[in-house]
Formats: sequence, C-alpha cells, structure tokens
Amino acid sequence: MPVDFSLTEEQKQLQALARRFAKEVILPVAAEYDEKEEVPWPVIERLHEVGLLNAIIPEAYGGMGLKMLDEVIVGEELAYACMGIYTIPMASDLGITPVLLAGTEEQKRRFLTPLTQKPALAAFALSEPGNGSDAAALRTRAVRQGDHYVLNGTKMWISNGGEAEWVVVFATVNPELRHKGVVALVVEKGTPGFQAVKIHGKMGQRASGTYELIFEDVKVPVENRLGEEGEGFKIAMNTLNKTRIPVAAGSVGVARRALDEAKKYAKEREAFGQPIANFQAIQFKLADMMIGIETARMYTYYAAWLADQGLPHAHASAIAKAYASEIAFEAANQAIQIHGGYGYVREFPVEKLLRDVKLNQIYEGTNEIQRLIIARHVLAE
Amino acid sequence: MKFVAVIRQVPDGESRLKIQGNRVDLSGATLILDQMDEYAVEETLRLKEKHGGEAIVVGFGPERTEEAIRTALAMGADRGIHVVYEGFADPVAVAEALAGVIQEEAPTLVVTGGQQADWDSQALGAALAEALGVPVVSWTTALELEGETAKAKHDLDEGAEWVRVRLPAVFTTQQGLNEPRYPTLPGIMKAKKKEVKKVAFQGAPKVEILEETIQEKTRLQKILDGKDPVAAAEELVRLLHEEAKVL
Repeated sequence: MPVDFSLTEEQKQLQALARRFAKEVILPVAAEYDEKEEVPWPVIERLHEVGLLNAIIPEAYGGMGLKMLDEVIVGEELAYACMGIYTIPMASDLGITPVLLAGTEEQKRRFLTPLTQKPALAAFALSEPGNGSDAAALRTRAVRQGDHYVLNGTKMWISNGGEAEWVVVFATVNPELRHKGVVALVVEKGTPGFQAVKIHGKMGQRASGTYELIFEDVKVPVENRLGEEGEGFKIAMNTLNKTRIPVAAGSVGVARRALDEAKKYAKEREAFGQPIANFQAIQFKLADMMIGIETARMYTYYAAWLADQGLPHAHASAIAKAYASEIAFEAANQAIQIHGGYGYVREFPVEKLLRDVKLNQIYEGTNEIQRLIIARHVLAE
Repeated sequence: MKFVAVIRQVPDGESRLKIQGNRVDLSGATLILDQMDEYAVEETLRLKEKHGGEAIVVGFGPERTEEAIRTALAMGADRGIHVVYEGFADPVAVAEALAGVIQEEAPTLVVTGGQQADWDSQALGAALAEALGVPVVSWTTALELEGETAKAKHDLDEGAEWVRVRLPAVFTTQQGLNEPRYPTLPGIMKAKKKEVKKVAFQGAPKVEILEETIQEKTRLQKILDGKDPVAAAEELVRLLHEEAKVL
C-alpha cells in the first residue's frame, strides 16, 4: 500500500487533545488577548501541562519527539481557535529547530532540556530593520575575541523575543562574505547588553509578542555557536524549510474556522425570506473555501511527510506555506463578505481571522520568496 | 486497592445524527468517551493517587470502543478490559456481561456514568450493582474512602444527602464530582504500551430495537410584544423559570 491517508491511533488522540484544548482553553480567551495585545501566559502554562509545548524536542532531551506530521495535526487545531496564540508555540519550535539541526549533544542537552521542564519559549532572530527577504545582507556583527563573540546590532520582528529563555541570533563575522560569513549564536535571556523591546500596534496576531532585539557589546561564549562560522546561513535556511510547514498548518486551521463561521452565519441569516445559505452566490463561496481547505491540508500533510521521511522538502514547504496562507486569507475575506456589516465588527470573530492570517503571507519568508524557492526548483530540473 | 471505571463510547453531543434504514447511522459522527464516564475515570484516578493501587478501565461496545479506552489510559488509567460487542445491548444485558469481568478483578469499588449519553439510559450503574450483588449510590458528587466503607454525597431532586455504604459498591457520577483532566501528550504516548484485554460478549441482548427515529424539536414561537415593558419582563422571567427552567 504505497499511499495511505489514515492517521494512526495516537495521531487521532493527539488531534482530539489539541481540538479540545483549542476549544476549551484558547477559544474563550482569544478575543480578550487580541484586544489587550498581551501574551497569554496561562494558556502557555496549560500547553506545557498537557505536553503540547516544545513537543518537537526529542525524548532523549525530555521532550515528546513529535514528528512534523504530528506537529501539523496539532497546529491546525490550535490555530483554528487563534492563529496569534498558536504562533507562540510555533515560533518556539522555530527557535528549537536550528539547535536540533546543528547543535552538538552537549548543546542540545543544555538548551533543549530546560524547555521541557517548565513553561518556557525559544526564539529565532534573522530579520533586521533593514533586511528581511535578503537575509544574507544582515548587518548584526559578531566579532570573535578569545573564547567568546562580541555581538552588536539590531534584530526586528522577533516572535517570543522578549519571553524566550534564549534566542538563536544570526550575525555576520564579515558582511563582505555575505551568506558565507553568517554565524548562528544562542544568546541567553539576561545576557548583559541584550535588550528586547516589544513592538506595539500590530494589525493581527496580537496575542503573540513581537520584539525588536538590541545587542550592545553582548558577550556570547563560543560554546553557544551552532555549527561552524559560515554555516549560519545554511542553518537558517534549513530551519525555515521545515518550520514553514506548521505555518501552512496554522493557515488551514484559520481557513477551517472561516468556513465554520461563514456556514453558521449563512444558515441563520435571512434575506429575501430565506436563509442566505440557499443562494448560490453564498454556496459558491463556501464551496471555494472547502476546495482551499482540503487541498491545502493534503499538500501540507505531504510536505510534512517528506520532512519526516528525510526527503528533500524545500520546494514542498514553500508551496504549502504560500498556498495555504493564500487560501486562508481568501477564506477569511469571503467569511467577512458573507457576514456583511457584521463581519466588519469585532463582535463577530471573522475580522480577526483576516487580521491574523495576513501575517502568514509575510512571516517565515514572504510568499514572494516562497515563489522564488519554487521557481528555482522548477528551473533546476 | 483496585478502582474500576466502566465506560462507553458515544456520539459527541454536537454530532449530527442521521437515520438510515430505521437505524441511527453513526458513520459521520464524532465518537467520544461518554462525558459522564469521564468523571468516573477521573474519580478512579484520584482515588488511586490518594490511596495507591490500580485504576482499571472496563469498556463495553464495538471494536471502535477501544479508542475511548485508550483515551482513559491516556488520562492515566493503568490498563483496560474491553468487552466486545458490535450491536446494541440493553443496560441489563451489558451489566450482566460486565459483572463477570469485574468480579474477576475483585475491585474496591466501581464508578460509572450516571447517564449514558447515547440511549439516555440511567440504568447501567444500578443494573451493574444488581448483577454484582453490591450497593449502589447514584448521582454521586463527592466520594471518600473510610476503610471498609465509603462516604458519598449524592444529588436528590431538590437537594443532596450524605450516605455511607459498605464496599465494594457501585457509584454513578453526577456533574460536579470532579473536573476531568486532559489526556496529555505524554499520557497518549504511554497509553500505546498499556494493555487492553479483549473479552467476547457472552450474553444476549434482552431488548431488541425495532425502529429508531430522531426527535423533531419545534420552536414555541412565543413573542412578547413589549408594549408594557414591566409586564413583558415579568412574563419573560416567568417563562424562563417555569417553561425553559433555566432560572
């Protein structure tokens, strides 16, 4: 049997757990934290309690060793209730992944094990105020001085940056070397000279903390370097090739929520003497949402499967991320359209879906960058 | 000490049910551990944590019931026993089938849901006590062990009472008995390795289902015009209290 779409018994249980958690713990507080623009620590604590936080950490370091397919199943469920809240554990996995990919045994024990023992987060810092898509143009400097590096520069748009126990910071030892000069350094919270400033006024995903990180003569021990000098860029790209898959999964969750809300409203709302769900103009929108959800979920599972098999997955994760975030944005958009004026106010949940999922088209590589990755794959064949 | 939770798998309350050939068709329904039975599992886990011993989950139903048993194992039960039967069996027949399995375990006590969500029966706990020849306390909201006996609080129509029973006994759950824990991710992983013993159903149903229909609920369409706001408010309160019974 070469193709099998069934979930294992454990995956079904995992899905049930995540679905219940989303419904009982996240959904009731999602609007409140969106409004307050505040990180929901009680939710993070509960995620830790049920074992869903930092669960990709292997069992050898105290984690659950979740595979990408498991992560994707969980991601869709949590994001269904709130994409912003899901971004918190998702961005923690983004911080953990470079350690998994390039860390030594000693580094994995030192950095990963503490994240399994209490509610704690990791973060990943690549973008800067002056560069995002052109990641190799980063300007944060790391200067080697004996047994440590001295770090100077600023990182921008860093999810969990102020909450994280440690941040994987990508810096250059020589900007002229471009990507060949990049080094990945784990900077621990509280290191002198390291400051996190929360970015306020985000359009969506307001429950997730986004930060500007400032490094002023921050001394980072050499034993906190992941891989070798010059390997940082490859580590960052290999990380993103994996972590874009959960972004796709979260997008599917948002799209599913949009469809559920639109369906509910369309059956209740009456116009011209009947529920608007009777009209084909509405039915076609619902059908299009369903087409998007089903195809995006299947492709996301496929990308996750490739990653779990250890097969090349850079193009697949790019396709999944770009496609799922676009069908999700459109689903949220159409859910608002179906709600009419009610969709435009905060009393109904659909406007938040659009505000939240817009970010899925931007972070972890804009969808334009995803298309570059896909095009390179096409042209290389 | 051994604490037994008797469980069943039922359709989720939000599932849409269909009738297919005079029978309820569950193929599109999400099936879950009966929420009243979830209280039973939680109570056996708490008793085990407090007094030591073993928490055993005993399930009755078709092969798929194992999913609900695995959920209970993921919550923390030590092992499961599954009495397998694919068709409908009435509570008295189920109780008689389970009694043999439970007697073999010689448990300290047995807890099960106060009401079975699928057939709305409240008979399983009482029938089980009858089949085991032990006392039953229904609608339990608190349970304490006292050596050879247990003290329990149970709901009455308009109040509650504390009772003492000799053990072993059967307790049926009521909302408020406890707050069931989540089956955690580590729990799910561990549950994989826990034993679920399969036992064939050795009896025969005593009640045969001839036809099933789904209740059609029609709205009362009562509208208060509100021309006299005070009278309308009073009438609304009266309706909520006497008819809707929510106040």
